[in-house]
Amino acid sequence: MRRRTALVGASLAGVLAVTGCSTGQSVDVGADGSDEILTAAIAGEPDQLDPHKTTSYFSFEVLENIYDTLVEPDENLEMQPALAESWELSDDQLTWTFTLREGVTFHDGSDFTADDVVYSYDRIIDEELSNAWKFSAVESVEAVDDYTVDITVTQPTPNLLSSIGGFKGMAIVEKENVESGDITTDPIGTGPFSMEEYTSGDHITLAANPDYWGGAPEIGGIEFQFISEGSTAIAALKSGEVDWTDSIPTQQVESLSGDEAVTMGQSPSNDYWYLALNEDREPWNDVRVRQAIAYAIDRDAIVQATSYGTATANQLAIPEESVWYTEYDTYSTDLDEAQALLDEAGFEGGTLDLLVTSDYPETVTAAQIIADNLEPLGITVEIRTPDFATWLDEQNTGNFDMLMMGWLGNIDPDDFYYSQHHTDGGSNAQGYSNPEVDELLDAARVETDQDARKDLYAQAATIIADEASYIYLYNPSVIQAWNPELSGYEARSDRAIRFRDVSFGG
Amino acid sequence: MTTTDTRRREDGTRMPSFLTSPTLRFVARRLLYSAVVLFGVIIVVFSIVHLVPGDPVRIALGTRYTPEAYEALRAASGLDRPLWEQFFSYLGNAVTGNLGVSFRNGDPVTVALLERLPATVSLAVVGLVIALLISVPAGIWSALHEGKLSDGIVRVVSQFGVSVPDFWMGMLLITLFSSVLGWLPSSGYVPLSEDPVQWLRRVILPALAVGLVAGAIMTRYIRSAVLEVAAQGYVRTARSKGLAPRIVTFRHIVKNALIPVLTIAGIQLATILGGVIVVEVVFAWPGLGRLVYDAVSARDYPLIQGSVLLIAVMFLVVNLVVDVLYALIDPRIRLS
Repeated sequence: MRRRTALVGASLAGVLAVTGCSTGQSVDVGADGSDEILTAAIAGEPDQLDPHKTTSYFSFEVLENIYDTLVEPDENLEMQPALAESWELSDDQLTWTFTLREGVTFHDGSDFTADDVVYSYDRIIDEELSNAWKFSAVESVEAVDDYTVDITVTQPTPNLLSSIGGFKGMAIVEKENVESGDITTDPIGTGPFSMEEYTSGDHITLAANPDYWGGAPEIGGIEFQFISEGSTAIAALKSGEVDWTDSIPTQQVESLSGDEAVTMGQSPSNDYWYLALNEDREPWNDVRVRQAIAYAIDRDAIVQATSYGTATANQLAIPEESVWYTEYDTYSTDLDEAQALLDEAGFEGGTLDLLVTSDYPETVTAAQIIADNLEPLGITVEIRTPDFATWLDEQNTGNFDMLMMGWLGNIDPDDFYYSQHHTDGGSNAQGYSNPEVDELLDAARVETDQDARKDLYAQAATIIADEASYIYLYNPSVIQAWNPELSGYEARSDRAIRFRDVSFGG
Repeated sequence: MTTTDTRRREDGTRMPSFLTSPTLRFVARRLLYSAVVLFGVIIVVFSIVHLVPGDPVRIALGTRYTPEAYEALRAASGLDRPLWEQFFSYLGNAVTGNLGVSFRNGDPVTVALLERLPATVSLAVVGLVIALLISVPAGIWSALHEGKLSDGIVRVVSQFGVSVPDFWMGMLLITLFSSVLGWLPSSGYVPLSEDPVQWLRRVILPALAVGLVAGAIMTRYIRSAVLEVAAQGYVRTARSKGLAPRIVTFRHIVKNALIPVLTIAGIQLATILGGVIVVEVVFAWPGLGRLVYDAVSARDYPLIQGSVLLIAVMFLVVNLVVDVLYALIDPRIRLS
């Protein structure tokens, strides 16, 4: 190995001599002056910049800084005022009245009013855009006057705030910008930064909005570069060409943590990865067989292999840091217990068709470990790895024994449990049905007292895990790294990339 | 059909007078050949969508799938029409430079390709220059010192260069020149027209990554070309006439050995133009390679089709130019 390196070094020196490149001086990199531009390397290019239409995280990394929502999550993911200064809920809990902030302007100088809110929400609902389901309980959105909006719901909806403020997919957009079609490449919002330049394939530049209602940002702007190769992004960060990145190979996290040239931000995310067994098929409809599998898998090994130990193994969906966390530790790896449960169920071995997808490589890695884990129980795992679109079709038609996938971007506990485990849930592909859980989830959905609500979810979650509707594996971490001179930035568990409060050397 | 036609023309019977020059005749034949290949490429590129397993529209939509979106995209991309109709419409559009719109964002494919072309051409040309600067002196030196220590060193180093994947070379260069020494940026592109100094600083590392590997390959070709020429009878004749070794080396051996180098350089240029996908990804270089990578990741079939077609056209053009130059330099080529 050492010899190879020496040879390459020699040939490099030769090449430099031949080409006559002067590489003798060190080069001044990084921003200078007072209006410093923050350079952020993200791992991919946005597909488009219409917040209501895109589903790409790379788009949302940029859009987070361009748009505002009526309310927005703070670092504990509790909803705080944003474009709405305050809100009130009627006594029958069916009408939410939002008082909007006055004097807010869009980046093109036009005033932000209640009509913009109505236009934005009606657009999502009427055109059935990808986030329309978040408004499923909404009957109407009306402007009472220029700075007051009423949202009427068909039943009490305590998660309405997280639905409209959870992410920039619910942003308030400008009608003219939408109708001209410019929104896909030149979005106009009310946020702390405005769109300045988009060079396809290379970078997007945003400029600070001096008129931002929350106060002008301290930095002059942001340049987003698209660097998919993690090692390149890390090299660029260390050499000062970029100031921030989340394009980080997980195997480098440990060595980077000890590196003084970078600041690491790591926070457990609200995303979770799980296994689900098809309860319309035998023998997986037997709760004991599902529990046996929950006992047989080695979560720590899966965490190690999929994330180099950066994820946190879990047995329920919601991570420990959340206010909605419930303690639960039934399924420690125990092959004897697993075998006993299988014997009790009369299971005598067989094959299991495990549906994962090459588009999420962690599912393939985990599948190999799971296959190994289940072998001693006489279960032969046959792993299938189609592309994600096919995976979705197979899931929806119920063509699987077990599948692995993740739920990303959850905020309210309803996001974690309802559509996945309610009998009528839209994402209950495993066919789980328990009237008691249905009742708890329905009650929790309309319960406005937070403690009572938390208790309902804790009960539902415990039953769901006991009956192995989902076998939970882990919560991955949000991992970001930045220039130590950057202050005012924090890695958030909802993966929102907010640069409005950062400054250099502060 | 085309063969008969060409043969008849070779007889000179129905040849227009301006085509009587053997060089022009060769060029005409070469153009016709390229047109036939291009037609074949268009058939293959057109078939991509129809040969992939699964429904490309369904795959492109992924989680955005709704029956309405599916029908809309299918109609927009013309996939609901009969196959022959689709083919002729694709052919007609391709000839006029319309390669359809991207599944991902609805942008015209031709525009996306043309935006990316300058970055890839910069990278390929600088890479080729580096490869030539390494391989010509190294290959000649090595051949003229055959069996000596310096020949051994060149052969070992070039063997190493041939065996190293270009992306690994890229990582190595980034580690050394960006991370450890901090001399050059690891990523990004600045157009030459905008800032030549920044362009050069940014193009050096990726161009080295492709140029070192291509240079190693070409060194080996040049070495054997020189050795082959040195063994020819006319070289022995020149030596026996008592010409100075230096004159024999440069006038007789090197000059003749460099003719095949043109072909190798052409092939390498075409390879670099079409094959720098991984290097462009490593260096976040906004060229065609990155575009292909992104298009494949997003399963954007119109964009994949367009990129493949453009890369094939570049191959054809480079090969055509090389063949014509070759024919101009070496008259024997025209006869074969």
